[in-house]
Amino acid sequence: MALPERIEPSMMHELATQVPDSRNTLWPEIREKGLKVLRSNSFPSKKIEEWKFIDLKPVSRTEFVHIENAGTLPAIDIEKYFLPESDRSRLVFINGRYHEKYSSIGGLGKGVTVGNLADFSKDKHVEEYLNKLVNYDGDVFTAYNSYMFEDGAFIHLEKEAKAEAPIQILNLYTDSTKAFIANPRMLVVAEEDSDVTIIEDHIGLGENRYMTIPVSEVKVKQRAHIHHVRIQRDSIDAFHFSRPIAYVEKDSEYHSYTITLGGRITRNEPRVIQEAEEVDFTLDGLVLIDGDQVADTHSVMDHRFSFAESHQLHKVVVNGKAHSIFNGKIFVRRDAQKIDSFQENRNLLLSRDGLVNTKPQLEIFADDVLCSHGATIGQLDPEEVFYLQSRGMTEEKAKEVLTYAFALETIENVKVESVHKLLIKEVYRYTKANSLPKVMA
Amino acid sequence: MLELKDLHAEVEGEGIEILKGVNLTVTKGEIHAIMGPNGSGKSTLAKVVAGHPEYEVTKGDILFNGESILELDPDERAHAGVFLAFQYPVEVPGVTNNTLLRESYNTIAASRGREEMDPLEFDDYIREKLDLVQMNPDFLERSVNAGFSGGEKKRNEIFQMAVLQPTLSLLDETDSGLDIDALKIVSNGINKLHGDDDAVVLITHYQRLLNYIVPDQVHVMIGGRIVKTGGKELALELEERGYDWLESLATVNGEAK
Repeated sequence: MALPERIEPSMMHELATQVPDSRNTLWPEIREKGLKVLRSNSFPSKKIEEWKFIDLKPVSRTEFVHIENAGTLPAIDIEKYFLPESDRSRLVFINGRYHEKYSSIGGLGKGVTVGNLADFSKDKHVEEYLNKLVNYDGDVFTAYNSYMFEDGAFIHLEKEAKAEAPIQILNLYTDSTKAFIANPRMLVVAEEDSDVTIIEDHIGLGENRYMTIPVSEVKVKQRAHIHHVRIQRDSIDAFHFSRPIAYVEKDSEYHSYTITLGGRITRNEPRVIQEAEEVDFTLDGLVLIDGDQVADTHSVMDHRFSFAESHQLHKVVVNGKAHSIFNGKIFVRRDAQKIDSFQENRNLLLSRDGLVNTKPQLEIFADDVLCSHGATIGQLDPEEVFYLQSRGMTEEKAKEVLTYAFALETIENVKVESVHKLLIKEVYRYTKANSLPKVMA
Repeated sequence: MLELKDLHAEVEGEGIEILKGVNLTVTKGEIHAIMGPNGSGKSTLAKVVAGHPEYEVTKGDILFNGESILELDPDERAHAGVFLAFQYPVEVPGVTNNTLLRESYNTIAASRGREEMDPLEFDDYIREKLDLVQMNPDFLERSVNAGFSGGEKKRNEIFQMAVLQPTLSLLDETDSGLDIDALKIVSNGINKLHGDDDAVVLITHYQRLLNYIVPDQVHVMIGGRIVKTGGKELALELEERGYDWLESLATVNGEAK
C-alpha cells in the first residue's frame, strides 16, 4: 500500500489511519486503543487550560511525511555518543527504530534483561505492563505513539538484580529533507530490591525538523532503586513531546533528572505515581533555551499513600526570545499523611525578550503534610556580577560564570561520571554561546 | 597612587548624593584608615573607587597612578591593580575558589604583561598563599563563599588579595564579624602582603583592627566628607570620644551634613 505523501498533525487520527502498514502488528489491542483516543480527541490548542501558554501552530502547520518518504540521511559518526560506562549496555534507536548493530547488551550481569520490545512481545512482563502504565487521558501524542511504535527499549530486572553498568538508551534522529515523526517507546520493570541507572539520550544529528514522541513506562517495585537521566539534545528545529511515567511501590526510590537543551518546541510531561507507603522520588529538571525555543514542562507528582519524600527542583535559563513554561502539579490524596514534598522552579531570565510562565499547583487533601514550593524569576544579581568583575573578569565572563553556577546545581546529582561531564560541557557551551546582554538597570 | 579630588557620587538614577566632595591622597607604601559612623559613606567610597555600577560620579575625579579611572569598568580597574575586599562577599555556588582565582589571576596577569600560569603552576603558587591566612587546602575545591561562615568569607577576601597581588587594596570592614583569633590571622596576612610598592586603605568602624595594623594616616568620614585627618593616635581618640565631637565639622558653608 502506498504511503501518504502528506500528514496533517492537526488531525492526528487521520494521520494514523493513513498509515495502515505500520509494522506494528505485534500489539493490535494497543494500536486499537491508541486509535480510539485519536478518533475522539482533537489536536490541542490554546483554548484548553493545560495548553494555554504554548503555541503549537509551528507543529500543526508542518507537513509531516511518513519516515520512508522523508529523505533521511544515514546516521554517521554516532560512536561519539556512546557512553564509555555503557560499552556493553547500550540500545540504539534511529528515528525510533532499533539498530542491533550499534547496540551492545552483554555487560549487565545476572538477572538483567535488556533488548528491543519487538523481540520480547511474548515476554510475560511486557504482556503484563506494556501500555498498562501510560496514564495520559485523551492525549493524542501518547495515543499516536501507541498506534505507531514498532520498536522500543525493554529493561527488566529480576529480584535483587543490580545492573552492573548504566544502561544507555540512545535515541538518534537523522537529518532529512522532509519532516517525519518518530515514536520511541520504553518499558522498564524493576522487581523487588533491584537497582538500575538509565541514561536516556535524544540527539538530533542535523538541524532538520522532525517530531519525536517518546513514551516511557517505568515500574519500580518494592525496595527497588532507579536513577533515570533524560537528556534532550534534539535538532534545533525539532518538536519533542515526551511522556515518561513512573509507578513507585513501597520503600522504592525513583530519581529522575531531565535536561532540556535542544528542540524548537518541547513539551515534557513527567509523572510519578505513588503506589504504596515509604517512597522517595525526585523529578528534577534543567532547561537551557535560547533563540525561539519553547520548553514546557507539565509534571505530576501524585502522593497517594503516607510517608513519601518527593523533590522537584526545576531550573530554567532563558535567553533570546525563548519561552519557558512550568506547571508542577503536586497531589496529596486524603489518606496520604506524613508527606514531605519539595518543589521549586527557579528561572533565570537573561534577555528582555525571553518569557517565563510558571505555575506551581498544589492540591492537598491530607492534613499532616509538609509541602514547600516556590517559583522565582530573576535576572543575574548585579552585586554578584560586580564581585566577579572586581576580580578582573569582564562583564560577559562574569555573567557566563554566574549562569553556569546557576545551572550546575541540578546536574550535581547525576552520578554517571561521563554523563556528569557531558552535562557540564553542555552547560558550559550554552553559557559560552550566549553573548549575554548587559545587566538591565 | 590614589588621588580623590572633590569626589561627588550618588546612587545611579536616585539623585541622592552620598559622597559630597571627598579629597584624599594615598601614596605608595602607605596604609590609610577611614573611620566613621554608620551611613557616613565609607563603604560607598570604596565601591565607587572599585567602579560599582550602582553609583554615579557626578563631580570630581579619581586618579590612579596619575590617570583618571572614572571611565574604566570594574574589571579594568582590577587589571590596573585595584582590589576591593567586600564587606559582604558574594557566594558563587558551582565555581570553586581555585577556578575563580586562576581565571582572575590569569586575566589580570595578561593585562599587566605578567606571565599566565597553567593549572599545575597555579596550584603550587596558590598553595603557598593559603598559609598566609591559615586556610586548609580543601578550601580551594569548595565553591566560592558558598556555605562559608562570616569569618571564612573575610579570610577568603584576604586570600584573594594575596593571590591577585593588587597595588591598591581597599578593605571594606574586613574586621567585622571576626573573632579575635581570626582578626589576628587576617591582620597578620595584610601586614605580610603590604610592602613599599602598594597601598592599603582600611575601612573600619572600630579601632581594634588598628592595634594589629598600624596606619600612616587616619581619616574620619562623616556625612560624605572626610572631616578630619590625623595619625594613628586619632583612632584612639575616636575610640575614647566617639564621633559626636566631630559632627560639627560635617557642616560646611552652612550646608547640612
